[in-house]
Amino acid sequence: MIRSTRRRSVVVAVALASGVSLLLAGCGGGSKGAETSTKASTEKPTGVANSTRVLNVWAGSMTPIVSNFNPFSPNVLHAAMGPIYEPLFAFNKAGSGDPTPLLGESYEFSADGTSLTIKVKSGVKWSDGDPFTAKDVAYTYNYAFSKPAYITSAEATDDTTVVLKFDSPQFTNEFSLLGTTFIIPEHIWKDVKDPAKFTNDDPVGTGPYVLKKGSVSSQAYTVVANPNFRDAAQGKPAVKTVRYVGLDGNQNAEDLVKQGKIDWTGMFVPDVDAVTALGIGYINTPQDPTTIYTCSNADQGCTGAQTDKAVRQALTVAIDRKQINDKAFKGLGAVVSPTFALLGRDDKWITNDAWKESPQSADAAAAAKILEDAGYTKGSDGFYAKDGKTVSLTLKSPSGWTDYNQAAELIASEAKAAGIKITASTISEQEYFDARGSGKYELLMGGVVGTSVADPFQIYKDWFAGFSTTKVGTPLKASTWNFSRYSNADVDAAVKAAASTNDEAKRKEQYAVIQKNIVDDLPYIPVIINATQTFFNQKDFSGWPTQDDLYMFPPSWGSVSSGVILANLVPLS
Amino acid sequence: MKYDGRRVAFYAITLWAAVSLNFLIPRMLPGDPAQILLGKLARNGDVTPAVEKNVELILGGSDEPLWNQYWAYLDNIVHGDLGISVSKYPEPVWDLIKDALPWTLCLVGAATIIAFAIGIVGGAWIGWKRGSAWDHVIPFTALLQSVPYFWLAILLVYFLGMKLGLAPISWGWDVQTYDHPEWTWASVVDVFQHAVLPALTIVLSAVGGWLVGMRNMMVSTLAEDYIVTAEAKGLRPRRVLWVYAVRNAALPSFAGFAVALAFVVSGSLVMEQVFSYPGIGKLMITAVSNADYALMQGVFLLTTVAVLVVNFLMDLIYGYIDPRTRHHG
Repeated sequence: MIRSTRRRSVVVAVALASGVSLLLAGCGGGSKGAETSTKASTEKPTGVANSTRVLNVWAGSMTPIVSNFNPFSPNVLHAAMGPIYEPLFAFNKAGSGDPTPLLGESYEFSADGTSLTIKVKSGVKWSDGDPFTAKDVAYTYNYAFSKPAYITSAEATDDTTVVLKFDSPQFTNEFSLLGTTFIIPEHIWKDVKDPAKFTNDDPVGTGPYVLKKGSVSSQAYTVVANPNFRDAAQGKPAVKTVRYVGLDGNQNAEDLVKQGKIDWTGMFVPDVDAVTALGIGYINTPQDPTTIYTCSNADQGCTGAQTDKAVRQALTVAIDRKQINDKAFKGLGAVVSPTFALLGRDDKWITNDAWKESPQSADAAAAAKILEDAGYTKGSDGFYAKDGKTVSLTLKSPSGWTDYNQAAELIASEAKAAGIKITASTISEQEYFDARGSGKYELLMGGVVGTSVADPFQIYKDWFAGFSTTKVGTPLKASTWNFSRYSNADVDAAVKAAASTNDEAKRKEQYAVIQKNIVDDLPYIPVIINATQTFFNQKDFSGWPTQDDLYMFPPSWGSVSSGVILANLVPLS
Repeated sequence: MKYDGRRVAFYAITLWAAVSLNFLIPRMLPGDPAQILLGKLARNGDVTPAVEKNVELILGGSDEPLWNQYWAYLDNIVHGDLGISVSKYPEPVWDLIKDALPWTLCLVGAATIIAFAIGIVGGAWIGWKRGSAWDHVIPFTALLQSVPYFWLAILLVYFLGMKLGLAPISWGWDVQTYDHPEWTWASVVDVFQHAVLPALTIVLSAVGGWLVGMRNMMVSTLAEDYIVTAEAKGLRPRRVLWVYAVRNAALPSFAGFAVALAFVVSGSLVMEQVFSYPGIGKLMITAVSNADYALMQGVFLLTTVAVLVVNFLMDLIYGYIDPRTRHHG
């Protein structure tokens, strides 16, 4: 008994001692951490050997990071798209100028739009030293994963010319073909057995950077300057090392930006002044519309009061967009156009000045008039009803998307003032994606993906065309986003007609038809254009896109554009 | 022996039930993985047609009847194959767990042990000095425990990390110095530094429970006759405290401690999220938010097995320590 007592006390003592020493080690470590961190921060401004300064980027990757540099994989890491692999041209989502040539030099559609002749640069090398030729380009467009269904043939007619042939006019796929198709080296990929499972841990590309071997961990990975980059002779990229880190929350990222440990990121920060006060560069380039998705089409199986156009029209005048922007989006959003053309960039495509902007303030009287004209009467409860049925809708948003949640609450209270009963509620992300995919909803807060070129066409085709949707209950097909189940023969015909011409005047005629219909039918009720915020270190690096020189879409997560920006940066000494 | 046999059978059945539930529960969650993945990709700009095609290929979904899926699942588990994660496709689930587990075991394990040690020693001391000013520590630690965990972590980051710059606020090691942690003194110290705030969060929020439990057990133990006898015998107070009172008072806490240790393998969801710290909890979040069944099953399985194993060991040990349990077990 006594012996066991003693043994036990020894065990307890050891446990305690180890616990305490761990704790001490932790505390000691903490104070040392302070020393090193202050040292680092005093070293930085002196700018010693600044060309070796590593640029730290958060492009939205969450931990654990898993090595994957296959540009066709949904789990591909950001550095693969732009910094390592490049398409032929870089299109600027934030401007309306011509695309920047990367591997391509020029391109020309045939008059009927069924063939595209591309000239590519000569003398370019892959990062492993092998020459890049038009054959690689033809290979990429023939590769099962990257080949769009409409391509009938892709052929390299000589070392710098590729001719693509299509089964129909493809003017409107210019961006998709030239700006998103990452060119891969035939001499590597011809040996890849299963491209879906291929993680491409040693990527060979043409971009300004190559992966630093062995640098991928669960928390970060590093890319270094590609010695075979075509502009290497001009000293590009001047920033020789770029580290991509993984982080799990915006707050965490914001703190690290403030500490100077992250030099470039694109994320939502409500209190911008707190960051810019530290001398950190900031630019806001609103791009993507936030809307209320409505399951609008009873013919496709939608149910609820929102299937009546009058209700949607009343709703769009009943909401106070300025208030929603100020309160839910911290005043960072931009004014949306009901034509879904991006104001400022796509102005020339707006065919009627009356459709330029969605109303910015609430007009309950106008909403009441629309409803009353459509046969609704106000009940004793203050809500409109028709045929004995009160207009009562649920507006759902994914829990945790706080800007959407707040916007939904505001919309509900504004609609109430106009006699429309809306209940705002939150659902899990899974239920949300399920609801919008299957069409089993009344109203959802939802985003529309802004177009990557100065033309709203892609939105009309993917979000409004009847051939881009399915019956309620059937999920949408790939590349189609018509969650509203909207289907209008006039719009469909105009989309098809616009796709087959490259003539601006003729396209505008078709756009006029589309815009007239969607402004009136409102299957998506536009709310605002979302902020796209970018924060960057302007003390140690220059060459960032600015409001005056918006040569590329600025956020660090931008596919293709991030590679162009990185190659353009210069370390400051 | 008969007792052990019964126990083994009981645990085998429990394990089977847990593994089966593990299969069923993720499949009852709403959501189509492909839609979720596409939705998330679209939030960050363009989804190229090539990627969409690939998503359909990877997540096309299995049309196999559930029953066949279940047999395949059991078969794979028996062969140690946890499947391939879809949210981190094509990474095998086991590789993800293997990378995350050491971090979780070391950090959450150490923090749990520290919280327990402080709780037991502190609780014993406060119980011993009951009625003194030390009693005021109890409500304070209870407060720390009731503060939402997330909030506590944010406060620590803000004051200790941002304002005072005492400790790093992200990652398991300094990714800006080391690509991977190394077996060098500087790197080991660095890993310790990065563990400070995460560990502190866990310790602060967990210590209150141990402390109050131990203190109350001490108070009731100290009222026992054998303590009075020991004191009457004229034993030194220190001996009465540690050998007579603490040993007996700590027994219930040790049972709870075993369970707490078993749950260490499930990681710490909030801590790992706030500090971007590597670990199993992160895998859980990733799995649930992406409807990644394979990864979810892997993590659940790990937790289930750990809890069962620890309970099993506890049962066996208790059976020998206390013969009474053998007859009622």
